Amino acid sequence: MKTRSIYTSALAILLALSSTNCTQLEDESFTEILSSEFDPKASDVAALVGRAYTNMRFILLDWDGTWRAQEVSADQIVIPARPNGWVDGGVFRRLHEHKWTTDDPIVIQTWNRTFAGITNTNRLLYQIETGLVPLATEKEATIAELKVLRAYYYYLLCDMYGNVPIVTSFDLPEGFLPEQSTRKQVYEFIVKELKDNIPLLSTKNDISTYGRFNKWAGLTLLAKMYLNAQVYSGTPAWQECVNTCDEIINGGAGFILESNHKDVFRTSNEGSKEIIFGIPIDEKYTTNWNAFDFHLQTLAPESQATYNLKSTPWGGMAAIPQFVSSYDPDDIRLKTDWIQGQQYTAAGQPIIAGGTPLIYVNEIAGVDRSNMFDGFRLGKFEIKPESTNILNNDFPLLRYSDVLFMKAESLLRTGRADEAAAIVTQIRQRYFKSNPAKAVVTGAELMQGSTYDYGLRNHTTSTDEEGRDIMYGRMLDELGWEFSQEGRRRQDMIRFNVFTKKSWFSHTPNSEYRSLYPIPRVELQKNTKLVQNPGYPQG
Amino acid sequence: MNKKLQTHLRILLLIPLLVLQVSGVLAQQLGIKGKVTDETGVGLPGVAVVLKGTTTGTSTDANGDYSISVPASGGILVFSYISYQTQEVPVTNQTTLNVTLKTDTKALDEVVVIGYGTQRRADVTSSVATVKSDDFVKAPVVDAGQLLQGKVAGLTVVSSNGDPASGTAILLRGNTTLFGANSDPLVLIDGIPGNLKTVAPEDIASVDVLKDGSAAAIYGTRGTNGVIIITTKRASGDFDSSIEYSGSVSTQTIAKKLDMLTADDYRAQIAAGTRPSNMDLGGNTNWLDEITQTPISNVHNLTFRGGNRKTNYLANANYRALNGVFKKSDNKTFTGRVDINHNMLDDKLHLNLGFLNTHNKFTTTGDGFSFNGYTYRQSLIFNPTTPIRNAEGQYYEQPGNFNYENPLGRLFESDGENTSQNNRLSAVLTYNPIQSLTLKALGSYTRFNEERGYAETKNHISTVRDGRNGFASVGSSQNIDRLLELTSEYATTLGSHRVSILGGYTYQEMDTRNQWMQNWNFPTDMFGYSSIGLGTARALGITPIYSGRFKTNLISFIGRVSYSFKDKYLLLANLRHEAASTLAGTNKPWGTFPAISAGWRITNEPFMESQNLFDELKLRAGYGVTGSNPRDLFLGQATLSYGDSYYSNGQWIQTLGPARNPNPYLRWEEKHESNFGLDYSMLGGRISGTFDYYYRRISGLLYDFPVPSPPNLVGFTRANVGKMDNKGFEALVNLVPVQKADFNWTTTLLFSTNENKLVNFQNELYKTSSNYITAGGTGEPIQTFTHLINAGDNIGDFYGFKVIDVSESGEWIYEDKDGNAVPYDDFSHSFEDKKVLGNGIPKYHAGWNNNFRYKNFDLGITMRGSFGFQILNFQRMYYENPSIQAYNRLKSAYEPVFGKAVLSNDMPLEFNSYYVEDGDFWKVDNITLGYTFKNLNAKYLQSARIYVSSLNTFVITNYKGIDPEVSWLGLSPGIDNRDKYPTTRTFTVGVNISL
Repeated sequence: MKTRSIYTSALAILLALSSTNCTQLEDESFTEILSSEFDPKASDVAALVGRAYTNMRFILLDWDGTWRAQEVSADQIVIPARPNGWVDGGVFRRLHEHKWTTDDPIVIQTWNRTFAGITNTNRLLYQIETGLVPLATEKEATIAELKVLRAYYYYLLCDMYGNVPIVTSFDLPEGFLPEQSTRKQVYEFIVKELKDNIPLLSTKNDISTYGRFNKWAGLTLLAKMYLNAQVYSGTPAWQECVNTCDEIINGGAGFILESNHKDVFRTSNEGSKEIIFGIPIDEKYTTNWNAFDFHLQTLAPESQATYNLKSTPWGGMAAIPQFVSSYDPDDIRLKTDWIQGQQYTAAGQPIIAGGTPLIYVNEIAGVDRSNMFDGFRLGKFEIKPESTNILNNDFPLLRYSDVLFMKAESLLRTGRADEAAAIVTQIRQRYFKSNPAKAVVTGAELMQGSTYDYGLRNHTTSTDEEGRDIMYGRMLDELGWEFSQEGRRRQDMIRFNVFTKKSWFSHTPNSEYRSLYPIPRVELQKNTKLVQNPGYPQG
Repeated sequence: MNKKLQTHLRILLLIPLLVLQVSGVLAQQLGIKGKVTDETGVGLPGVAVVLKGTTTGTSTDANGDYSISVPASGGILVFSYISYQTQEVPVTNQTTLNVTLKTDTKALDEVVVIGYGTQRRADVTSSVATVKSDDFVKAPVVDAGQLLQGKVAGLTVVSSNGDPASGTAILLRGNTTLFGANSDPLVLIDGIPGNLKTVAPEDIASVDVLKDGSAAAIYGTRGTNGVIIITTKRASGDFDSSIEYSGSVSTQTIAKKLDMLTADDYRAQIAAGTRPSNMDLGGNTNWLDEITQTPISNVHNLTFRGGNRKTNYLANANYRALNGVFKKSDNKTFTGRVDINHNMLDDKLHLNLGFLNTHNKFTTTGDGFSFNGYTYRQSLIFNPTTPIRNAEGQYYEQPGNFNYENPLGRLFESDGENTSQNNRLSAVLTYNPIQSLTLKALGSYTRFNEERGYAETKNHISTVRDGRNGFASVGSSQNIDRLLELTSEYATTLGSHRVSILGGYTYQEMDTRNQWMQNWNFPTDMFGYSSIGLGTARALGITPIYSGRFKTNLISFIGRVSYSFKDKYLLLANLRHEAASTLAGTNKPWGTFPAISAGWRITNEPFMESQNLFDELKLRAGYGVTGSNPRDLFLGQATLSYGDSYYSNGQWIQTLGPARNPNPYLRWEEKHESNFGLDYSMLGGRISGTFDYYYRRISGLLYDFPVPSPPNLVGFTRANVGKMDNKGFEALVNLVPVQKADFNWTTTLLFSTNENKLVNFQNELYKTSSNYITAGGTGEPIQTFTHLINAGDNIGDFYGFKVIDVSESGEWIYEDKDGNAVPYDDFSHSFEDKKVLGNGIPKYHAGWNNNFRYKNFDLGITMRGSFGFQILNFQRMYYENPSIQAYNRLKSAYEPVFGKAVLSNDMPLEFNSYYVEDGDFWKVDNITLGYTFKNLNAKYLQSARIYVSSLNTFVITNYKGIDPEVSWLGLSPGIDNRDKYPTTRTFTVGVNISL
C-alpha cells in the first residue's frame, strides 16, 4: 500500500509535468505585434510607410530639436533665464553664446532623431524591395519617395553636422559600424539621390501628396542643396539653384504667394497654396509631448487669459531686441509676427499680473537674467483660442516664397541684382499694403550690407559692430524678416558668413568651427570610427 | 470618516473591556511553595510560575523561592525562564514543589522557514533572520515592512513619507540593479507570492528574511533582492477555543514644519522695500496649518481559533482606519482571513485551506495619487497674505502665477476615491504515505481588482485657469495570479547521518489588465466621476483613453539536499532551473541557479565539551546564485507597435513600426553571493547573536545601453552591460544584562555596513568608451541630473557644481574643473565643471533595541541611526533662494550664506553643493510602555495588556530638512524631495486581550 501510493503520486506528478503546458513560456502579446507572426496586407502599407515620415516632426519640433538648434543659436530668438526657470543647467545660454558642449541635448537630439528617420526609411526600403511589405502597385514610386525622404534627413545632418556616416542598407551584420563621409560626399550623395528619384515622384499637388514628398517638394529640397552648395561642398551651384527654382515656378503645380502671409501660418493652414511641404500637425493626433508648443514655450503664464489656453504657458523664448529694431515700422510683420505691448484677456480687459500690467517690451536684460515680461514673443504661428498644449497649425517646412527667395538670392549672387530685386519686391508687397512704395527694393539696395545693428547688448556690456560690412547683408535681412521663426536662421547666417563673425545680444563670436555642431560625445563613444568635427574635443 | 462613525468605533474598542466580568466566587485554594534552581543547584531568580490555562501566576525571588495559591482541584504549574527549558509540573497534594530547570536548547530547535520547507535553527547554514511578533514594532504600521524597521541587520526598511496610503520600501544589502529588473525583495505569505500589504500586520506570527544568496537561490530569478517569508498566525493541534483582540487608537503630528515666511514677514519685507507692496493681499493664512488636521486612526484585530487535533481553524478580522496629518489623506483596509486545517487518513493526509479577502479604500486628491504632494508644495509656496477665499466666496486663485494653485481649492474642489479588493484562495495538500516521505501540492488563485475615480469641480483651478469646465477620470485594473507548486521531500536518519532530499516543480502565471479614461467639459459637478460620459470633451476627440493587458509566467524545477553528520557538520545544496516569459524569444530563457552552504557546529565537538562559555558556536559559509528578470516583455524578439499618427491622403492613421531594438542575447541579471557567518550563544543565552560578511557580484546588469543607429533601429538597446559589487558586514548581538525577579532587561544591538560599486559598464557585443551613467533629476525648473555613476566608483554619488564661497554681493563662487575659484558670472556651468558632492547611501547603519520588564510593566525602546551619507535637500534648493518672489520662501533664504552675504537676487535656482548636507542621524523611533493585568480573576478573560507607544519619537541630527531618513533605493539615493508627504510622529494607545 505504502509503496503503491508513492508510485501513484510520482506518476501523477510526472504526468502533470510531461504535458507541454507546464514548460511552455507565455508569449501572447496584447499590445505589440510579434514580427514573427506578422504578415502585412496591402491595407497595412500606409501604416508601415507612414512611420518613416513621423520622424520629420520629432526632429524639427520636439524638445531641443532642429528648430531650436537653428533659431536659438542665431540672432533673432533667445531663451534667457527667467524668474520661473529656463536655466536648465545653462543649455540655452550656451546655445546663444555658441558654447555648447558635445553632451548638450541640442547637439544630441537632431543626430538621434534624424538617424532614427534614416533607419526607418532604410528598413522600409529593405522590406519593400524584398517583398516583406507587399506593394502591388506604385512600388517604384514608393521607393523613390522614401529615398527622397531619406535625402531630406541627410540634408538635415549635412547642414548640422556635415561629416556623417551614409548608411543606405538595413540588413547589416551584427556589430556593424558605419564609416564616416565628408560633408562634400554627403552633399553629393543627397544631390544624386534627389536627381535620380525626383522624376519618379508624383507630380500631383493635392491631398494625396500633402505631407509627403511629391516632385515639387523634392525639387525645393534640391534647390536648397544648390543654394547651400558653397557651404556644403565648397563649390557654388547658383545657376543650378535658379534652374531648379524655375522648374517649380513654371511647373504648373498651382503654388502662389498668399496675399496675406498669415494664411500660411494660421491654425487651419493645410489648404494654403503657398505651402509646398507642410508637416501635418493636429492636437488630436500628434499628441507626443512638445509636439508643437511654441505658444507654451514663448508666452508668460499670465498670457493664458488672452487665449483661454487649456494649459498654462511657461514661456521664456523671445525675440532679440536688436532684431525687432531692424524691422521697418511700416512692415506689418513687425506687428503680425511678434506678440508685443499690453496684453488683454479674451474679454478685452488689460491683464495685470500681481499689480504689474502684462506688457511685453522690446528689451531683455541678458541671456543670464531677465524679467518675466522682457522681450516680444513669437506670434507668427496663430495661437487658436482655447488651444491645448499642442498647436493645430501644420508646419510649412517648404513654401513657395522660399523658392522665390532661393532664386532671388542665386540671381543676386550671380550678378543679376535687379532681377533678384524684382522678386523680393513682389514678395514684399504683401507687407507694405498701407505704404506700397516701401515694398520696393532695388538691386543696388540688395547689394548693400545689413541694417541689423550688430553688437553686444546686455545689462553688462554694449558694443557697436553694425552690419554694413556684410556682403549682400540686405538680402540676409530680407530672409530674416520673411522666414523668422521658421527654424532656419542659422543656415542663412552661415551662408552669409555672419553666424560666427558677429555679436548680438549676449553673444560674441566663439570661433569659426561653431558653424558646425559637434558629433555628440555619446556617438563617438558608440562608433569608434567617427572622427570629431574640427575644433571640438574628440573625447 | 464622519464623526458618528468614529464614535461607533471608539465604542467598539471599549466592548472587549466590558467582558471583564470578574468572577466573585473563589474556589478552595491550595498553597504551594518551592525553589527553582538551575542544573548546578543555584537558585534562579525571576522564574515565571503560572498555573496553566489561567492568568494565575507569580515569579521566584532573588533566591529562587516562590509561593503560589492554586485551586485544590489541581492543575499544571508552568515554570519558564529565558534560555531555560520550560517545565510543566502537575499539581498533586504536595505543598512543596522544587524544580530544576535545564538549559534551553529550544532556540536551536526553533523552526526557521527557508523556502519550500523549514529547518531547525541549529541546522541553518545560511544567513536567515527571524523576527517574531513579540519583537515587531508596536504601532499602527502601514504594512508588514514597518514591523521589521530596525530589527534585521542589513535590511533597510524605508518608510520615508507620512502618507497613510503608502507603504515601505525594502532594501536588503544594498542596490542590486541599474534598472529594468525589480528591486523589491520577493515577499511570500505562507508560501504564496504577495506583497507587504497582503495580510494585516497584526495577523503575522513571524517573518523570516533570507538574506544571502545561498538561502535565496531556491527562489531563482526572484531571489536577488532577498526573500521575505511572512508566516501568518496559524491554527494547530489541540487547544481550547480562543479569542484574541487587539486594538489601538493613534494620532499623528508632522515630524517637522518648514520655517516659511509668515504674513507678518511679508509685510515687514514690504515695509522694508524688499518686496512690492502689491504682494500684500490683505489676509493672514498659515497655509500648511490649513491643510493639516489632527488625525485619529484606529486599528482593530480579532482572531478566533478553535477546533481539535483533527480539524481546526483560525479566523482573523482586521480593520485599519488610518488618517494622515493632511486633510483628505486616509487609508482604510478591512482584511478577513480564514485558515482551516483538516487531518485525514490516519493523519497521513493533511489539508489546509486558506481564504483571504482584503478590501481597501482611500481618498485621492489627484488623478492617480493618494495625497498629491503638489498640494503640499502649494501650501508652502502660497503667499501667506492671501485670504483663503475671494470676495465671491471662491478659493482665492491667481491663475497668472505659474505653477500656483490654492492648496485648499485643490483639496476641496476635487473628489476622488480608490477602492480595491484582493481575494486569495489557497489549498495545500500534504500527504505522508510513509513517515519519511512528504508529498505536497500547493495551489493558489489571487485576484486583485481596483477601481479609481477622480473628479474636479468647476471651481477647481483646472477650470478657473485652464477652462476644463469640470474634469473626471476613471480607471480600473485587474491582476490575476495563479500558482501551482508540487514538492516531495524524503528525510531519513541513518546512524550519525541525517539526510533530506527535496524535489519540486512550480508554475506561476500572471494576467494583468488595466484601463482608464478622462473626460471634461461637464454640464454639472453633481455626478463627479460617476458619469464620465456626460463630458463633451470626448466628442472633440482630445480626451485620452487607454487599456492594456500583459500575461507572463514563470516555470521552475527545484531540488535541495541537506545533510548533517553527528549534528556537527552541516551541508545544504539547492538548485533551481527556471524560465521566465519576459525572456521568451531570447536565446536562453532557461537559467540554472545553484547554491551550496555548509556549517560547523563547533560546540558539538568533543574538545568543546569542557568549556562553559559558549552554548553554541557555529561557523557558516555559503555561496549562491540568484537572478533578476527584465521587467518588460518581449525584449528579446522583434515586435511592431502602433503609434505616431501620420496624415495619409487626408486621413490620420496610426503608423506601425518596430517597438525597440530586439536583443536575443538578453539574460537575467545574475547575482553571485558569498556569505560567511558565525552564530553564537554564550553564558546560558545571556549573550547571543550572529556576525555575517557578504560579498555580492551582480553581473549582466540590465541597462538601456547606447548603440549606434544605424545599424540599430534606435540609439539604445536593453542589454546586459555591467557588473556591480556589494559587500558588507552585519552584526547582531542580543544581551540580557539584567534578569531579576521583578526586573528584566533584554537588549539587541545591530550594526551593518554596505559598500556598493559599479565595477564596469560594458558588454562584449555593445562596445562603448563611455564609463558612466547619470541618474536622478531635480525636476523643474532646475532641470538637471543629480547623480553620476562612474564605473569603478560608488553608487549614489551626487554630481553637481561645487560652491566654495559666496561673494560680497551674494553671488556663488564655484570651483571649476581645475580647482580654481571662479566668480558666478565667469563660471561656464559645463558638465566638466561638475564634481562629486557627496554620496547618498549610508556607509553604516546601527540599531539598539531594548525591552524592559518591571513587575507588570514593560517598556520597549527601538533606536536606529545611519551614518556616513549626504542628503540633497530639495526644500532648501527650491525654497531658500530669495530671487524668487512669486512664491513663498524659507526664512533662511534671507540669512547670509556662509555667514557672509545673503544670496543675490540675481542667482537663479541651482543644484550645487550648498544644498548637499550631511545626513547622519540617530533616531529614537518606537517607544512602547505597557502594563499587563495579572491575576485576573475573570471568568473568561485570560490576559489583558494596555500600552501607549510613540513612533518616530525624536531624532538627533544636523540635517536641516524634515527627516534625514530618506529613500536609499535606486540609482538616485539620498534625495529629500520637495513634494514628499512629510514624515510624522505617531502616538498610540492600545489594548491586547485574550479570551
